[in-house]
Amino acid sequence: MTRVAVIGAGMTRFVRRAEETPGELASRAVAMALADAGLGLEDIDSVCLGTAPDAFDGVHMKGEHLIAGAGATRKPYLRHFVGGGTGVMSPIHGWMHVASGKFDTCLVVCEEKMSPCVPHPAGAFLTIFDHTTEQPLELTLIHIFALEMARFMHAYGYTEEEIARVSVTHKRNALDHPAAQIPEEITVADVMASKLLSWPVKRLDISPTSDGAVAIVLASEDVARARGITPVWIEGVGYRLDTAYWCTRDLAFPEYVALAAQDAYRMAGITRPAEEIDVWEPYDPFDYKALHHMNGLLLDRTGRTVRRLLESGAFERDGSHPMCPSGGALGVGNPISATGLMKIAELYFQLSGQAGKRQVPREVHRGIAQAWGDLMQVGTVVVMSSEGSLPIRQSNWSGVTADDLPGTPLKSVADAPHVEYHPDLPYAWDHGYALTTYLEGFRVGKIRASYCAGCDRMMIPARPFCEVCDLRAVDRYFDLPDTGTVQTYTISHVDWASAPLPEGKVNIFAVVAIDGAAEKMGLVHLLGEVDPAEVRIGMRVKAVWKPETEREGKVTDLAYFRPLAPEEEAGEAEVVMVKPAELTRATAGSIRGRIPLDYAYTAGLGGRRFYTDLAEGKLSGTWCPECEVLLIPPAGFCEECLEVLDPEAQARAVDAGSGVVTAHTLVFEDRAGRPLDAPVWVVQVEFPDAVGSVIGRLLGDPEDEVLLGLPVELVPTKEVGPEHVAFRAVG
Amino acid sequence: MGVAVMGVGMCGAFPASDGLSYRELIARAAQMAYRDAGIVPSQLDGAVSVEEDFVSGYSIADEYVPDQLGVPRKPVYTICGDFLHGFGSAVMQIETGRFELVVVEAYSKASNVLHKDELLHFAFDPITERLGVSPHYLAALEMQHFLAGSGFDLDDVAEVARRNREIALDNPLAPYGGRTTIEDILESRPVALPLTEPMIARHADAAVVVVLGTDEAARRLARKPVFVAGTGWGSASSIVARRDLGTSEGTEVAAGLALAEAGIEDAAAECDVFYVSDLYAHRQLLHMDALGLGDAELPALNPDGGCLGMGDLFEANGGARLYDAVLQLRGEAGSHQIEGAGVALVHGWRGLPTDSAAVAVLERERRTA
Repeated sequence: MTRVAVIGAGMTRFVRRAEETPGELASRAVAMALADAGLGLEDIDSVCLGTAPDAFDGVHMKGEHLIAGAGATRKPYLRHFVGGGTGVMSPIHGWMHVASGKFDTCLVVCEEKMSPCVPHPAGAFLTIFDHTTEQPLELTLIHIFALEMARFMHAYGYTEEEIARVSVTHKRNALDHPAAQIPEEITVADVMASKLLSWPVKRLDISPTSDGAVAIVLASEDVARARGITPVWIEGVGYRLDTAYWCTRDLAFPEYVALAAQDAYRMAGITRPAEEIDVWEPYDPFDYKALHHMNGLLLDRTGRTVRRLLESGAFERDGSHPMCPSGGALGVGNPISATGLMKIAELYFQLSGQAGKRQVPREVHRGIAQAWGDLMQVGTVVVMSSEGSLPIRQSNWSGVTADDLPGTPLKSVADAPHVEYHPDLPYAWDHGYALTTYLEGFRVGKIRASYCAGCDRMMIPARPFCEVCDLRAVDRYFDLPDTGTVQTYTISHVDWASAPLPEGKVNIFAVVAIDGAAEKMGLVHLLGEVDPAEVRIGMRVKAVWKPETEREGKVTDLAYFRPLAPEEEAGEAEVVMVKPAELTRATAGSIRGRIPLDYAYTAGLGGRRFYTDLAEGKLSGTWCPECEVLLIPPAGFCEECLEVLDPEAQARAVDAGSGVVTAHTLVFEDRAGRPLDAPVWVVQVEFPDAVGSVIGRLLGDPEDEVLLGLPVELVPTKEVGPEHVAFRAVG
Repeated sequence: MGVAVMGVGMCGAFPASDGLSYRELIARAAQMAYRDAGIVPSQLDGAVSVEEDFVSGYSIADEYVPDQLGVPRKPVYTICGDFLHGFGSAVMQIETGRFELVVVEAYSKASNVLHKDELLHFAFDPITERLGVSPHYLAALEMQHFLAGSGFDLDDVAEVARRNREIALDNPLAPYGGRTTIEDILESRPVALPLTEPMIARHADAAVVVVLGTDEAARRLARKPVFVAGTGWGSASSIVARRDLGTSEGTEVAAGLALAEAGIEDAAAECDVFYVSDLYAHRQLLHMDALGLGDAELPALNPDGGCLGMGDLFEANGGARLYDAVLQLRGEAGSHQIEGAGVALVHGWRGLPTDSAAVAVLERERRTA
């Protein structure tokens, strides 16, 4: 197995909203990383890219969309994905490329644009929840974090104030990070006073949504040494993904992080992480998460080490266990996948002495970075190390400031040419056998489970095989009591899109462990008929069902759980075996849903030029000085050499009336596949002395035959968007 | 070191599968693959799922992967690509020497995606490519470029569709087998001229699961392993306006890697069975060109009926081809067995608007040490 080194890094600024397109953002990080590594695109054997849910950037198969900007044109390219864990999965996947011996170099890129989501990226998180068993409750990401935070505080005795110290430290550390989005000096009081979104989560407990891109270059040992740079090695990797049934486990301790860390430590030969790791970059999308993850990285279920380190100030940059010296997600920003790679870049800087003002004072030889993702499921961990004594390097990176980093912040998407889009994407998800039985239970006012004899677990939701017993078939279904115990809860002041609820209204979500089910086996639901101030972990509750006539076979047939008074307790939990539903045409159902988001995409640097020209019936190309070609449409980068381009400064006019049709088709259907009233000509048009083409509609009678070579001209329009790009025959 | 295919499992293909949830569909294929491989999932060192969020209809598709594969808490990640991309990644994973047994999975519940063309349109660049008309326009432009630069014509394109659907009649798993004529295909309903409806693979539901292991583990545990001779993948530019639409450079890069690794110089002569993506009929010809197969007469081409016969299975397409390739090499393909199949070349393409492709070469026995 070949050793793998990090030999260069690049990144854009992290901003709330960037004007650059996803590809333009990625290209800028890539160009910087290549320059840092002293390599050209031709030296890159392979590219792998990480980007988190397509729902943010608003492009299906987003990984494909990023190929050109990632420097992957005509190269082996893969996009890997594990939700929020993607950023640290990226170097792991890159490591596989080189450690396997298949490639000598691998360019690893992470890009995220969260800003296109309208009205707010938070809405994209509705669809991370199970479409049948959870989405009808209209949960969002903040809720699952809040549930975990409450459980964490309960299990380890932390107060909100203690946790807030993490936010304070990280935001302060970020003052020294050139890419930082909102670095600032705040106090614990500021955090406590910030808007309560879903108790215990407040606005300043959370990292901001961001746009940004980061790239690193990985190389085999031979290539790294030939470069003459002291390598920073990837010494250990680990990644673990837990069950999707997140209500069946105690959220207090991240088992998936601990397991991933153990894998990484084993590979790196680390037996005492607390002593052998010098710098720590756990993922901190929320402040409590840094501590939660550190318990996992320290393999310490008691939580005592982390508490001691927090209280003694050891997590500060000048402490014994510097945590997030970069400023983390909380301070630098959280363009999901790019955040994880930013942490990897930070380890690269720290371990090679290039971290400038952020350089931790103690000598560092080993660092660890970690990311998390999904429904409290994914842990991705990388251990990196330097060789010998810390080299003091004066490099470009030591003195980099925000002005040196690319990325054009926009206050509002309306400040630049942009395209609005409403995707019409409905789905109908088949229930199948087990869910039909489970949902039929709700319709008749029962909480239904299935039982696996292999592991002696009564499981909710009812499922047809056991995921821990090698897919052993599960055929026994039972009705359980509709009572249970609150495992954790949150009091929400926001809806699924993070918009505030009406004044005075709150939603109380809770994970309720159901009586008769396996220990801690629960489901998430609402609490009602209870004063929020009275809710407690350990509270006994009972289901309140909708009237029979209103039940539809959905999880919302159960309206909410209410407090169960001691005198109402039934004694022994009554568990009754039931006949599973027979699947027929009548009973085999599905649940409908849709992508609930709209988008406003910035046209980007190249697009701004194109549509500004188009408003006047003009066209320009962008000159690439490296390849000596004129690119149309205007481009923010050249995909052949990855030269970063300025479509304004490097614009050269093209005669918009000199187009020639090089391909055409008569289209009979609209974008959803429905027949058009009248078919539409689509043409591909090339222009003399320019590389590339413009694709658009051809105006005029669809009956007329269109010939290859037809001279056409662009029709001026002030509208922005490809639907408005049109040509007409010249003369 | 050597990586082998230890076991394969498939459930499908069906035009619709409403009696099975996606979990049940995948679990069915997974259990078949595990039995075939001689293992239980707790023995696995990792899993690779091949999936796209918007095809599944929820965000962060990898959340919902481990359970129906029986691998909660194991090393699992998703590849957003064709099955063969995930396959290539899993092979690399094993070749690091840190993983011995890895499972690769993909599925299609296309019948649950109610607006498929809209979904495809959503994959196009929002600033330059979403014209607001059928996204198949791009296939028509491609076809025109390709036909102009090759010796093929529209009849040849229609013949691909006619042949693959007829062959599918011999594959019990293929839902879209049928006998038709070139005239029928050319006279059928136009979508984006010269593309007519039968030139586009219809969608279907299926799940495919493949267990990979080291050669050593495969010989020890599996019933009838076949061996991975080479893998490769590649992508042409994502900027459609500047891409050469008449070629598949992605396929050229993928084939270059895979064939070199397999030590194959003349694929047409040295391979016995060929699977070439026919998501659109013209693309099969275009890919043949890029694979260096030109207009070779290949009787053993897409013997399972290809995408046109089995259905467009989204990310699982390459997996369905690979499943058949394994059966062929084992001599277990029954009614559509290619006699003497010793080496299989399996190609996959991600579909519009990409030119991303992947290739795997499998062999019945290790030909090289």
